[in-house]
Amino acid sequence: MLTIALPKGALLKDSITYFQRVGLNFAALLEPGNRQLQVLSQDGRARALLVRAQDVPVYVQYGQAQLGIVGYDVLREKNPHVAKLADLGFGQCRLSVAVKASSPYRSARDLPPHCRVASKFVRCADAFFQQLDLPVDIVPLYGSVELGPITGMAEAIVDLVSTGRTLKENGLVELEQIFSSTAYLIAHPRSYRLNLNGLGNYVPQLIGAIA
Amino acid sequence: MVYQPACGARDILPLDVARQRWLEQRLERVFQSWGYQEIITPTIETLATLTAGGTVHPETVIQVQGNSDEPLGLRPELTASIARAAVTRMAGRQLPQRLYYKTNVFRRTTVAELGNQQEFFQAGVELLGATGLAADAEILWLVQECLGALAVEGAYLLVGDAHLTQQLLSPFPAELQKTVRQCLANLDRVSLQALPAPWRDRALALFDLRGTPKEVGERLAQWSDVAGVVDRFGELQQLLDLVAESLAITLDLSLVQSFDYYTGIIFEVLIPTETELRLVAQGGRYDQLLSIYHPDGATVPGIGFVFNVEALLQAIAIPPAALLAPRSQWLVVPRTTSALAAALHHAQTLRLDGSTRVELALLDLTPEQIRAYARDRQIPYIAWIESDAPPQIEALSDGATYLQIQSV
Repeated sequence: MLTIALPKGALLKDSITYFQRVGLNFAALLEPGNRQLQVLSQDGRARALLVRAQDVPVYVQYGQAQLGIVGYDVLREKNPHVAKLADLGFGQCRLSVAVKASSPYRSARDLPPHCRVASKFVRCADAFFQQLDLPVDIVPLYGSVELGPITGMAEAIVDLVSTGRTLKENGLVELEQIFSSTAYLIAHPRSYRLNLNGLGNYVPQLIGAIA
Repeated sequence: MVYQPACGARDILPLDVARQRWLEQRLERVFQSWGYQEIITPTIETLATLTAGGTVHPETVIQVQGNSDEPLGLRPELTASIARAAVTRMAGRQLPQRLYYKTNVFRRTTVAELGNQQEFFQAGVELLGATGLAADAEILWLVQECLGALAVEGAYLLVGDAHLTQQLLSPFPAELQKTVRQCLANLDRVSLQALPAPWRDRALALFDLRGTPKEVGERLAQWSDVAGVVDRFGELQQLLDLVAESLAITLDLSLVQSFDYYTGIIFEVLIPTETELRLVAQGGRYDQLLSIYHPDGATVPGIGFVFNVEALLQAIAIPPAALLAPRSQWLVVPRTTSALAAALHHAQTLRLDGSTRVELALLDLTPEQIRAYARDRQIPYIAWIESDAPPQIEALSDGATYLQIQSV
């Protein structure tokens, strides 16, 4: 049976709406109080797995899910072996460098060499500063990254920004955008090549259903 | 201190060895029946040899310290070594050369994949010095025969053709060819969509060139103006027609690699299990590789494939290890210390036929403990030896197991 990995959090609602356009209804995942981690589509033709966004490409890479929806940011950070079939356009955000509003820095290049940069996106952050030729210490965090500069643990952060509200409310300003991100439709490469689980039927429909 | 295997290395205990050997012997019999001869190449090669072909990156090789200044590494695959040997020590021999191997290979894992396996077993063949339909057909038939010998059902054969794909890429501007090829290899449709018109639509059409050979042939009609495409597809179709229907064939013209290694057909064998699609074998034609190793750069065509033994073991049904593991048929027990010489002689007599497995009881146990040991080890017969009396033979009741073992 076709199995689809869906990300918990910001992309979930739009992902479910998107699959509804090709007749796969996983709305059960949105019901308040839902605790199920896998549900069948209303017509029983497909199954959805509810996983953390970072884990979507893992299930797809190993083939337990043949399709998945995940942000480009996660693909950039984890570089998984998955087929990138379409940019779905929703879930827009950007990975940016931010500092305390009160800091003197006005561009990422202004940051002092060997300063600390806190991030959940350690690979992307590292690659960005490598390319600037600016040596920095990347401090991996798992959440509330904004606290890095506030507490003085780090000079800057590299984090996802969608509206910029969280940054503003925590007294941070965005210095530079590293890349912008949207949701991608991804597939297990070999299942896609072999057209298993009806992928050859669903994928063109899904690509045609992009708003 | 507890001594453990190195991270990513593992011990293969006797029962698992029995399963692995069962599988390797079946593959080996097929290889031999097609005239292939075993070759053993060194575990350690110079890094230069390993990486010359372009597919192996130095960072994936476990490098070792030798006594020369030249960097050395543990082989991550066998084709480079065989290519080196074929054009140097074996140079001048009658072609084609049919070679096979069954051995271990090593791959360095990165920190992110900590604990991933580093040592693998492979069994494969290389057919050197022959090109064209017949040689390609021999290799695909051989793959099929191997799967048949392992009673594999429901395997998929995914076939691409580096030559044909290169022809399809030839109308693209030179600076786009590499990008398109990389996108095809990585199935990155999103990046293709960012290409300028009219190349974008052309690349997206190329991305979708997969399916049954017939479907792909129909879709290729719009490419018939590209030089060589019609002829090459005709050859490919002829080849795939020669492969009997036991394999479900998917032709996938985006099955390429981002670098030039394969020059003709490329293929993968996949077996679906309940939870996963396992890649059990892969191979292809590499007509330029040997020239890299040849002292004069002469071209010798080659084609080969390799079975990934671990993946295959996980994907197929194998008789239970307990039935495959070699068991002793006799336990010879000296009743006293003075009977030891007689016991050693008797055991040797039993072994005379060359196939009977006989073990000597070494521990000082009571007769009941000895019987319990024999039952535990599934040894059907015990010979009790006294120094100056004929041996007493005892058959343990569950002799049925013995017969079962014999029939495997």
